[in-house]
Amino acid sequence: MDRTLNHSEGLSHARGNAVVALVSLAVVFLLTNALLTVAKGGSLFTEQNLLYVALVFFGASAAMYLAYAVTGVERYIRAASPAMMAGLMATTLAVGHRWYVAGHPPFSNIYEMLLCFVWTLAALTVWVEWRYRLRLVGTVTMPLAVIGVVLIQLLPSEVHPLVPALQSTWLQIHVTLAMLAYAGCAISFALALMFLIKDGVGTDTFLIWTSALGAAIYGGFMTRLDASGGLRVAAWDPAGAHEIFVAERTPLMVVLPGLGGIFLVVMLAILVPLVLNIAGQRSQNSGLRSWGTRSFFLALLLQVVALLAFLVRAGAGRYPSPQAEGLFSTSLAASPFIVAGLAGSVTASLLCLLLVWRREGLESMLPRAEYLDGLTYKTIGIAFPLLTLMIAAGAYWANRTWGSYWSWDPKETWALITWLIYAGYLHMRITRGWRGRRAAYFAILGFAVVLFTFFGVTYLLPGLHAYA
Amino acid sequence: MTISSVRTGIVLLIIAGLASAAGTLILQRPMTGPEKMQRAYSPAMLHWLDTLGLTDVFHAWWFAALLALLGVNIVLASIERFPNVWHYFARPYRRPEAHFLTGLPVQREIPVDDVRTGMDAAERAFRRTGFKPQRIGDGPEASLYVEKHRFARLAAYVVHASLLLIFAGGITDAVWGYRGFVALGMHDETNQIELSSGMRKVLPFTIRCQGAGQENYPDGTPRRWWSKLVVLENGREVKQKEIAVNDPLVFQGVRFFQASYGSTGQVNSLLLTATPRNGSGPAKEFELRPDETVPLDSETSVRLAAFVPDFVLNGNQIESRSDQPNNPAIELTVDSKQAGTSTVWLFPRFPEFSHPEKSPYAFHLRDLQTGYFTGLQVAHEPGQWLVWAGVLLMGVGLAMAFYFVHLRFWVVPVSDGRGRLVLWVGASASKNREELEKRFGRLVEEIEAGLKTDCAACGIGAVAVPERV
Repeated sequence: MDRTLNHSEGLSHARGNAVVALVSLAVVFLLTNALLTVAKGGSLFTEQNLLYVALVFFGASAAMYLAYAVTGVERYIRAASPAMMAGLMATTLAVGHRWYVAGHPPFSNIYEMLLCFVWTLAALTVWVEWRYRLRLVGTVTMPLAVIGVVLIQLLPSEVHPLVPALQSTWLQIHVTLAMLAYAGCAISFALALMFLIKDGVGTDTFLIWTSALGAAIYGGFMTRLDASGGLRVAAWDPAGAHEIFVAERTPLMVVLPGLGGIFLVVMLAILVPLVLNIAGQRSQNSGLRSWGTRSFFLALLLQVVALLAFLVRAGAGRYPSPQAEGLFSTSLAASPFIVAGLAGSVTASLLCLLLVWRREGLESMLPRAEYLDGLTYKTIGIAFPLLTLMIAAGAYWANRTWGSYWSWDPKETWALITWLIYAGYLHMRITRGWRGRRAAYFAILGFAVVLFTFFGVTYLLPGLHAYA
Repeated sequence: MTISSVRTGIVLLIIAGLASAAGTLILQRPMTGPEKMQRAYSPAMLHWLDTLGLTDVFHAWWFAALLALLGVNIVLASIERFPNVWHYFARPYRRPEAHFLTGLPVQREIPVDDVRTGMDAAERAFRRTGFKPQRIGDGPEASLYVEKHRFARLAAYVVHASLLLIFAGGITDAVWGYRGFVALGMHDETNQIELSSGMRKVLPFTIRCQGAGQENYPDGTPRRWWSKLVVLENGREVKQKEIAVNDPLVFQGVRFFQASYGSTGQVNSLLLTATPRNGSGPAKEFELRPDETVPLDSETSVRLAAFVPDFVLNGNQIESRSDQPNNPAIELTVDSKQAGTSTVWLFPRFPEFSHPEKSPYAFHLRDLQTGYFTGLQVAHEPGQWLVWAGVLLMGVGLAMAFYFVHLRFWVVPVSDGRGRLVLWVGASASKNREELEKRFGRLVEEIEAGLKTDCAACGIGAVAVPERV
């Protein structure tokens, strides 16, 4: 008995070594490759290079966290943390570089804010791991960081001087607080998810909600569906590296043929596991559920196809526009939110499939449910005052700039809605003793609204915050 | 579910959240013009949205009523719960009774030889861990009471009071405050502003613009806008200030903010050269203003027919993309006794654009002066100080709520079930039970260690009482 145990342990150790070695090799290869390119022309410490290093390390770290989640091999997680630290260091240097070049703290546009968000997310993950010895947080936050860095690479990065309204210390305070608060919300979201896993929420429930998220993302894309089955995206001026405007706030759009149709099909394909799983859960029918899982897998494959199709189509080629004659080029940089939505949906589905395959293993790796529950509350206890101060600092800044501390513009309103949700969470918890699942659902809802405030409002509901 | 219950409060919070969300998803008047509203929604839909007040959610009576209800809920809930909390202040529970001793979840019993050494050891342990114990009573009846951060019990009231302050400020501004906009050209003055509701408001004083300008970054994007403003009362100058973005002029509680700066899209003067087409004579340089006819020779005169600051062709319709002179187009009417009337278009950005044959002169633009205006945001917000006071108070309240815990410890000498003399040590906290248990454990260890050094003979360990919840 003892011997077999030792034997299997030895085997998994050997396998662990092999995977760690492979990932390390990949990191070394990518970095050497990049170094060679850099050596051929140009300086070493540019922001692009630093972000590339961060991407490689965050990617490696995400891979190791996921590998740990799948196999439970201790060695992976010991490799994941240093990789995350290295990524954090590179991001820190990139933030510092940006600050130095721009001459002001990097909070003036969505590129810079995303940079700070990724930094805060990585820093908080390191902190939570160190302070609470909670190691699986990186499984959720590191893929998020990878998507963040990829998105950063796509967004226009040139240093723009600040327009007059943004030249205020209060703005910097406002944005710093926002990034801290939002990263806190992201951590509480990861903790709430872990709580739900540990608390035994059915895997099909996770499948249902992931499908709903995917369907919502693709539903958002449907607003860009063209009558011809194409997808409308902003045109891109490759020489100037910016969008083309035909009138104030009206960018030139081009139609990517066929993509709208593909996205529609993918959305319908995501609805299939959604319906099957809901029906399976209602009727307790295991046949329906297993078909639900299979169709979920199929929908994931289709999503990957959609992502690749979009990358290929938007990355190159010239397309017609309904607004003007002639062909115009576009770029991934012109549609960062579509890329983020596509990648985010794929990542969420992958994490969900991980749960389908490794439910028991994951549960055994997590600490006690009550501990996770308490930790979620503590994180929100930190994020909520930050959220309050963020709104207050923003109001104070707006008052100094426009003479109005509150003007109900969409971003303000959604920040208030986020605040109301977390206020509701705290009341239910403190006065009505809500613990466990209901509280966790609240925390997840809160983070969903944070995401909408951060991305959705900027993308779908423009207002005063048009700078960001 | 009464008006003062937490559940009512939560329901109101949810409704307020949903209404706010609706206000961002549905196009709002008056920010969205009536034409755009009609384009976005069908007439029937628009009628319903208007009737329900969903096209101006944040100024609708029902939204105000919702916030008022929330305020009432907060006040009533606070009044209902306040007496309970006030007990901690009016009558601190210093000396626990027998039923409390058995019921408290966090407690231990530590055997001691006599009351005095036990109490002394406990007192020392408290002082070493940073607490100030009070001795309650004398002699064998004496007990210890320790308390920290009692004010933390008031956190929720402080937060709620701060919310009410913010509400009060908001209501004050909604009733007595106003916001508007005024655009002033150079050396213009006015005592009227256009309110955001579209109405005009007459101020008790006059504001004059003495000058305004824009400073640019090297790449041409604006870095700073400024305006020199003068306040006049009964024709007398009473205040003067150069304002910039983030640095307003304040007069009688009315604030003037630099909001924008730009071209009016109107031309002030043009500097042109006219070259005779037939080569007779030299080129002439002349200045042309709107509504002015300039004679070029005894038979020919020219006037400005139209000016388009940012020319664009939409179909075959001439339009201006903006008021900025990005792509100016100038239409001149040339009257000649010989050749008759002809129209000349000048495009300074496209000098190769050809002149019609009919015009006896060829024109060339040398300089273009457009009018500039400074855009001022005007705001009167008498309630803003209440709002800022509320914000500060809320910061204090949230800090109290999340980072301070009301801790209480009691030490009472009692005899346990077997008749032994023990120190009963108990603790309670307003929140964070786990942290309390850790601190309590350390304290008990400290007392035991103190007892050991005090009397080497009493080497009996502490007895844990099982938790009773």
